[in-house]
Amino acid sequence: MHEEIIHTDSTSKEKQNYVMLELGSTPAYGWPAFKQVVKRTVNGELFVGLWITLKEMGKTLFKGGKHTTMYPFEKMPISPRYRAIHNMLRLLESGHYRCIGCGLCEKICISNCIAMETRYDENQRKEVSEYTINFGRCIYCGYCAEVCPELAIVHGGRYETASEQRASFSLFDDMLTPIDMLKQQQEFAGFGSVTPNADAAIKKTPLAY
Amino acid sequence: MMDIRENRSQKISVTIDGKVCEATTDDTILRIARKNGIYIPTMCYLSKVEPIASCRMCVVEVEGVEGAILSCQARATDGAVITTKSNHLHKQRQNIMKLYNVNHPLECGVCDKSGECDLQNKTLEFGVNAQSFTAKDMLRPVENWGFVSYDPALCIMCEKCVRVANEITGNEALQISTGGYKSTIVNVKKDFNDASLGESAAVCPVGALVSTDFKYRSNSWELDKIPATCAHCSSGCSLYYEVKNDKIYRVTNDFEFRSLCGAGRFGFDFANENASKDSEAFTNAISAFKEADTIRFSAIISNEEALILQKLKEKYDYRLVCDEAYGYQQFLKAFGSVSGESLYSANLESLSNSKGIIVLGSRINDDNPMVKYHINMASKRNRARVVYMHPIEDSNISNIVTQFIKYEVGSEEGATALLANTLLQDKELPSSLRDFLNDLDIGNISAESNIGEEELAALVQSLDKKTGFTLVVGSDLYDHPRAVQIAKLIGAIEKYSDFDVLLVPPATNALGVSLICALDDNAGDYTIGYNAVGDFELSCLGDGDLDMPALNQQEGTFTTIDKRVVPTNVALSYNGYVLNDIANALGLEAVYTIDYTSMLPSKAGFKAMTFDELPFGFDVSGVEHRGYLLGSKPVKTVEAFEELEEIPTYDGAIIYRCNEAGQCNMLTNRTEALKQNEVCLKGSAQFATVAKITDGDEIEYMVDGIRYKRRFKLDSSLKGTIALHPNYDMELSSTLVSSYRFSHLALEQ
Repeated sequence: MHEEIIHTDSTSKEKQNYVMLELGSTPAYGWPAFKQVVKRTVNGELFVGLWITLKEMGKTLFKGGKHTTMYPFEKMPISPRYRAIHNMLRLLESGHYRCIGCGLCEKICISNCIAMETRYDENQRKEVSEYTINFGRCIYCGYCAEVCPELAIVHGGRYETASEQRASFSLFDDMLTPIDMLKQQQEFAGFGSVTPNADAAIKKTPLAY
Repeated sequence: MMDIRENRSQKISVTIDGKVCEATTDDTILRIARKNGIYIPTMCYLSKVEPIASCRMCVVEVEGVEGAILSCQARATDGAVITTKSNHLHKQRQNIMKLYNVNHPLECGVCDKSGECDLQNKTLEFGVNAQSFTAKDMLRPVENWGFVSYDPALCIMCEKCVRVANEITGNEALQISTGGYKSTIVNVKKDFNDASLGESAAVCPVGALVSTDFKYRSNSWELDKIPATCAHCSSGCSLYYEVKNDKIYRVTNDFEFRSLCGAGRFGFDFANENASKDSEAFTNAISAFKEADTIRFSAIISNEEALILQKLKEKYDYRLVCDEAYGYQQFLKAFGSVSGESLYSANLESLSNSKGIIVLGSRINDDNPMVKYHINMASKRNRARVVYMHPIEDSNISNIVTQFIKYEVGSEEGATALLANTLLQDKELPSSLRDFLNDLDIGNISAESNIGEEELAALVQSLDKKTGFTLVVGSDLYDHPRAVQIAKLIGAIEKYSDFDVLLVPPATNALGVSLICALDDNAGDYTIGYNAVGDFELSCLGDGDLDMPALNQQEGTFTTIDKRVVPTNVALSYNGYVLNDIANALGLEAVYTIDYTSMLPSKAGFKAMTFDELPFGFDVSGVEHRGYLLGSKPVKTVEAFEELEEIPTYDGAIIYRCNEAGQCNMLTNRTEALKQNEVCLKGSAQFATVAKITDGDEIEYMVDGIRYKRRFKLDSSLKGTIALHPNYDMELSSTLVSSYRFSHLALEQ
């Protein structure tokens, strides 16, 4: 039974494309070995290889064949699902910050790192007078962005959280979209959204061959 | 009369949702249900006022009765079978909730009430997730009424605030402007920014009436509730300091059953901040204690601290001087020597249930707002007769006072004797007292004190055929030169007449201090002042020689006007030294101040309960379970009355020590909400003429050896030649109040 299965397997019966290389003979003693060394040393094969390297260098330097991302000057686009330092968004029409001070982010925060103070302002609005996130404690869980009823707090793409002090990112104004950048403000695409270059980044998988 | 009363309290049994409940005939269905843990939803019901019956959520079905019954106002009958839950009732309640939600602004995200909102809860409870009714919306701007703000758009017209303003606080500022969908609450006293409107805001089930200062400051769920006792006056109301980040944001209370006054509600930020352990000052304090022969202290103190001071006295033979409590202690002692009990019999609840009330020797609206609230409750609920006996008429309580009896300044002894004579007329008395009363020269006293015999006759007549009387006695009498004799007469009224007596303690813990400390009447050469003036001052105001914690920074107990020992807890942190540290350095041994709670003298009626055993709160039917009640101890009676003394004449310009304008003491004036920038001597035009001053004059005068610099302000609500002289702004000197409250104005040029 066992043998039958092997023999009925169609792939095993196909012709294999293996080719035996012509490697010549390996010198077996002193003199021919010495001749081989001398021959390889002086016939310039080395420069053939070096020329290829030089050509690739030329392509990279002058013809845009470079694959290096010049971090930190250049950054790869990051997935919108990635949860980095928060952004505070503004209303596109009025430019007023979206946060209404409802305090849900403060309440839901499981590492207890959001602190806010609010007050009654002159326009009878609830004004956020203090808003800080302690990034030493933040675990970037994303609950604050998820609970926000106004899409005011979202996670941005600033993943570099090394700083001389933790306070560097944590103030409301640091997170808020600068007013002159209002036009460039990106709407948060929502949870489960894909990266902007997702289509381009698709590679054919072996199954497609 | 008696038959009806007995009939009223007949025991019945009713069946609610299949559960057999024992009750009495004067209980409403809702109250019986709550007492038995059966839930009936309500929107407008507030336990502490009469049923409002505006929401109709509390409908129930009674077997054999057509239609739905409002359980909040319907009394149960024996054998009734009541259903509180059915599909029909649920649909009815759901419809009510749908109507409440018509055009209710969807601003829960910023609303202060969110998280503790009745509308929110009930909307979710009845699954109202769509608007099936609509009405044309209209502009309804927010109104700022000073201490509170009103947003008509959020208002659901439950009327709780109006009821509280009328029935509890008695400011009568709020009214309903009816007009269907256009109905609103209107404030008819907008010019008078009244802190007692805070009570109306407290009961608001939605975010319509809120504290202006707290508005949009914090979400309710972010605040920690610290159960505590108000430190401002002797009513010792239960409250919660709501704290976040070591800062008090607001004060709330069990508004379903109890109230607070404006000072308790808004005067919470009196803590001694930034105190630290200054070891040098501490060493100085210890050496000062070694040197001193007197400790002078304020009655704004906990029982435990008072006991520490008493123990220090026993150990080092200090003189203990407490000007605020000394007169009261002597008064209580003399009172007991006739009444036979160490304590008076009335309390705030019995006061609010009275049908006849006499207030003697106190400007009660300013002296103790909570007592005034309870008089107001009695007036509004029982149509109680309120007789106000005082040299100055008080226009603030004219709406509840049915008879004002004015007597001359200084004639309190005569007034009390006349009152005793009137109230004890047909009572059976021991011969010594009867002889004393018979020997009174009524005509002469009446002439001297200016109390007409016909006024007393009218008083007797108005109380005729009523039961349940309370005599409220205030601090004009405690510091009177003839206080002992007055106290004995009051004791006789307590013992032999139908009146229960309420001796209003003059300061926060004056009653506790009176029971715990053996006080001396005068100070020696070197005085330690604990929240009082002294050669070395321990002060919670932060300006003394050594910092002490304010009463919201320490735990301990107070003895309240209800003769209840109540706990208070730490709301704000305090890093400095406390009295217990000094006591330990002086040889007493206790880890914490509250270790003394169980050592409070059982001889005076205290129980040997530790601090942590003291309960705090109310049960569902509103019965207070907070601390414990002091036991009154029998006292040996000595009924010896003296002859009445000649009444001293108080002619010319008189000033009356009185902390008006919602202030209680030196602490309330430190708070942001209540602080007065300029404290004035307020008097009538007649006073100005007699004192030869005019409105706005800067004057200087001396009282009890303290120099006061005040602007004089004409007050049209006052009459006569007596001006109101506040001392709450005098910081530590404000506790030096041992003398009679009325004095001649001694102007200095």
